[in-house]
Amino acid sequence: LAAAAVARDEMVDGAGGLRPHWRSVLGAYAALTDGLAARARRLDRAVAEEGVAALLPSAGDPVSPWRCDPLPLPLPAAEFVALAAGLDQRARLLEAVLADLFGPQRLLAEGLVPPAMVFANPSFLRPCADLGGGVRLHFYAADLIRAPDGAWTVTSDRTDGAAGLGLARENRRLLARVLPEPFRPVQVRPLRPFFELWQESLHRLASPGRGNPSVALLSEGATHPYWFEHMLLARELGAALVEPGDLTVRGGAVFLKTLRGLQPVDVLIRRLAGRLLDPLELDSGPLAGVPGLLDAARAGSVRIVNDPVTGLLEAPGFAALLPALAGRLLGEPLQLPNATPGEPASVAPWLVGEGLEPRPVVLRLYLVHDGEGWRTMPGGLARVLTADAPEPGGALPGGGIAKDVWVLAEERADVIGLAPASAPPLELRRTAGELPSRVADNLFWLGRMVERIDRAARLVRAAVARVMRGGGTLPRELAELDCLLRCLVEARVLLPEVAQATASQSALAAALAGSVRERGAIGRAFAEIARLIESVRDRLTGDMYATFTATLRTAREETAAAGRNLDALGHALAAVQRFSALVAGLAAENMVRGGGWLFLDLGRRIERAQAVTAEAAATLDQPPARIEIGLRLLLELCDSVITYRARYLTVIQPAPVLDLVLADPGNPRGLAFQLASMHTLLDELSGDVGGAERLAATAAGLLAEAEALVGGVLAASDQTVAASALPPHLQAIAAELAALSDRVTRRYFALLPAAQALWGEAPAA
Amino acid sequence: VRYRVRHVTSYRYAETVDLACHLLHLSPRALPGQRVLAAHITAAPEPSRVVTREDYFGNAVGWLFLDQPHARFAVTLEAELDVAPPPPPAAAATPAWEAVVAAAMRTAAAEFVFGSPMAAAEAAAGHYAAESFPPGQPVLAGLLDLTARIRRDFVFRPGATSIATPVVRVLSQRAGVCQDFAHLMIAALRALGLPARYVSGYIRTRPPPGGAARRGADASHAWVGCWLGEEHGWVGLDPTNDLVAQDEHVVLGWGRDFSDVSPLRGIILGGGTHGVSVAVDLEPV
Repeated sequence: LAAAAVARDEMVDGAGGLRPHWRSVLGAYAALTDGLAARARRLDRAVAEEGVAALLPSAGDPVSPWRCDPLPLPLPAAEFVALAAGLDQRARLLEAVLADLFGPQRLLAEGLVPPAMVFANPSFLRPCADLGGGVRLHFYAADLIRAPDGAWTVTSDRTDGAAGLGLARENRRLLARVLPEPFRPVQVRPLRPFFELWQESLHRLASPGRGNPSVALLSEGATHPYWFEHMLLARELGAALVEPGDLTVRGGAVFLKTLRGLQPVDVLIRRLAGRLLDPLELDSGPLAGVPGLLDAARAGSVRIVNDPVTGLLEAPGFAALLPALAGRLLGEPLQLPNATPGEPASVAPWLVGEGLEPRPVVLRLYLVHDGEGWRTMPGGLARVLTADAPEPGGALPGGGIAKDVWVLAEERADVIGLAPASAPPLELRRTAGELPSRVADNLFWLGRMVERIDRAARLVRAAVARVMRGGGTLPRELAELDCLLRCLVEARVLLPEVAQATASQSALAAALAGSVRERGAIGRAFAEIARLIESVRDRLTGDMYATFTATLRTAREETAAAGRNLDALGHALAAVQRFSALVAGLAAENMVRGGGWLFLDLGRRIERAQAVTAEAAATLDQPPARIEIGLRLLLELCDSVITYRARYLTVIQPAPVLDLVLADPGNPRGLAFQLASMHTLLDELSGDVGGAERLAATAAGLLAEAEALVGGVLAASDQTVAASALPPHLQAIAAELAALSDRVTRRYFALLPAAQALWGEAPAA
Repeated sequence: VRYRVRHVTSYRYAETVDLACHLLHLSPRALPGQRVLAAHITAAPEPSRVVTREDYFGNAVGWLFLDQPHARFAVTLEAELDVAPPPPPAAAATPAWEAVVAAAMRTAAAEFVFGSPMAAAEAAAGHYAAESFPPGQPVLAGLLDLTARIRRDFVFRPGATSIATPVVRVLSQRAGVCQDFAHLMIAALRALGLPARYVSGYIRTRPPPGGAARRGADASHAWVGCWLGEEHGWVGLDPTNDLVAQDEHVVLGWGRDFSDVSPLRGIILGGGTHGVSVAVDLEPV
């Protein structure tokens, strides 16, 4: 019987006619003068740039990243109302089932739920049975397909995470940007009011008396396949995006570790599995979760939504029980039936090349409980079923073809959002204090790593140029190459045993080419930078993120393609340097001073100060007679050749070179500039969050030291002798810079020691 | 019999612990056959937050939070109780074990039929136990036989296992401590479809005059709660000593396995390597 069923078509009625609600949609698309395929390509590009295609390969994700089909799936207003009513009932039913299974368990005693489905299920989290706080289900999603008879049926209930909501929001945003025209004639209900409503209901969940409650979205972090979505949702809901390590429990309350200290958290949007929440009471391993979190939830100081136990209902088999449970718990028949296995989903047009092809689609709709009842988002995520992702339900795949869902408004009145809620006037803030310590830490290291990769690229490039020239035969060339190789060893790009000026050209070339491979210094820096960019992504604008990642990818691809070809390697290294310059420029022009920018820039300044100091120490480590070779190289490495020439023409003398590289506060590649910037940044940080006064004084002290060193060389009777005596002093400055970096880390990032589990003793040991 | 129990657990840390939280299943459970006259838990240093409540299984649980740096931590339970459990029914009067298997699913005992993190329904263990359960065997007769066989077939050897030793390992090496024997018996009974739960508590330190020395007496003890059907309910069987738990056993609480009711578990930040020492005394007053 089922085999005879033919999939229904969403767009046409089988008698050659267009379904009425498609008319206005197709009309609007037909009016596009530049063709749909061109728009589809623009949409693809926008999706890729905005980073649904992430830098990091997400764990175990074989499918291609998400794409957005330019054609939406329209739903008539009346149909949406009926769906919303059915899902409202389903959500109420699921809530009632949870209340029973984690309470009196009447459904088990009456035989309506088989014990194995509950007691043998690892998601039956006994310690979370009574966290309190009212409803357990706060948000909910359902996957639906339309059966051949035209009725919508449910293929799965998503009670744990309701993934894809951020994706749906992003699809709408990008579609409206790339294809604004159809939104004018077609009355599409907007999504934003739903998120406003959700945000308000989250605030109401905080314990009374918390004037301006703080909401955080708890994610596993940048390695999670849905990190991007967590970020979008956090932004949309005005929630801080946090990882378990950002939180700590003191005195039965949850706090976020920020630069200024512990800030209370009232509501946690849970985006990791319930069993990973609290290692004290659940089997999550000592390093996962937040110890004491469940106690804080029971104490009522924090609300966790969804409640940790809600994942239980995602177990296969529950849906089949719902018709009977609806009768028992609600006294009503189930309005939205479960899908019949094997029945085909309805098909909707999908743009392939220039034409439309009908493909089966599954619709995911989202609901949120506003404290009084369930509200359905007027929109959703439709997914084209493909060979890669054939399942019409269950966990959302890591990628595929998505469609925006247009709920059509019957009248203009429907489009109007909620009345704006009266919010208390906000306190003005201009400080960095609210920044989570982890984010500050990551930005600091991003600043350091971007500078480090630039330095490594510059050094390798300089060496490549010399090897290509076939230099290294004259004693003078050998001395210069030797000096450069010492810099490369010092920067940990080359190992001391391969960095010999007397080594064969091919051995040197191989060592230099190795630096950009996966395990080379530059290759490792690429991976680390990609990780850091991803982890601070919520602090970057979409454009900044897109530019960072695109440029980084280009640089990575170019270095990978270069292989052992030194000419190509030189060009690829230039791309690495462009990446680094671009990050600096974009950050300077786009990031608000204070906040994260302070740490990004501080990291860059400390790294560059260390590099200049180390390079000066290495190049001046010469007998006085050869000091000129070192000075020339130093000018080249500090990108200061042109400035020097403009000031002094071609005469190379120690004091002018060292003044430009070490003491001139106007040279952005020189040491003095870095120290002066560090002083300013640390001073600002003291004003913001305190505690950096002595760090700022250290930077000022180092600046005075550098000036004194150069002054000494200038006053010396023989400048070359004085200059070749500098390296020990420069090494002392480098050591003080390293100590300063450590002190910044300890003061602001407050790394707690690792957690470990205690098991008492084994009984009868 | 009136008992006084004293259970001290002390941790020494190589480095300072900055933050600690401890979860305690350390209060004797009030039962028809066990009256708790007094029970006090003390901790040093003084915790900054103490919470007590009942867990999912009805056991009393305590939370201790410490937020001041410390290098040592000790928890002491001191309690006084009257223990007089009703005697078990005559084995022959209990229903056939197959009937108990069938009845379990309709009652709250169903919770203890399914595998749990440390005591899965292990087929190999079930195979070992099957010998004690021929068709029609009254359930308690089978249980007593299994209890005696474990006592006979397995060597009590402290150090032979750790907290994480799986049941199949215990089964193959034929050695372990009371926790291992309890998990083994639970896994075996679950494999047969019989409900079985892990009971945490103490056994009296010195045997009654003329009795044999008991094993596992100077530490926490563990045995198995077995279900005899709705009429007779639960009975405690101690495979380590081949005993029916009566007036020599004091119950702290029960769960599916050790992980539900470990007397003390905690998460600490810092601490480096740590040492733990435990002393238990259960003496008649």
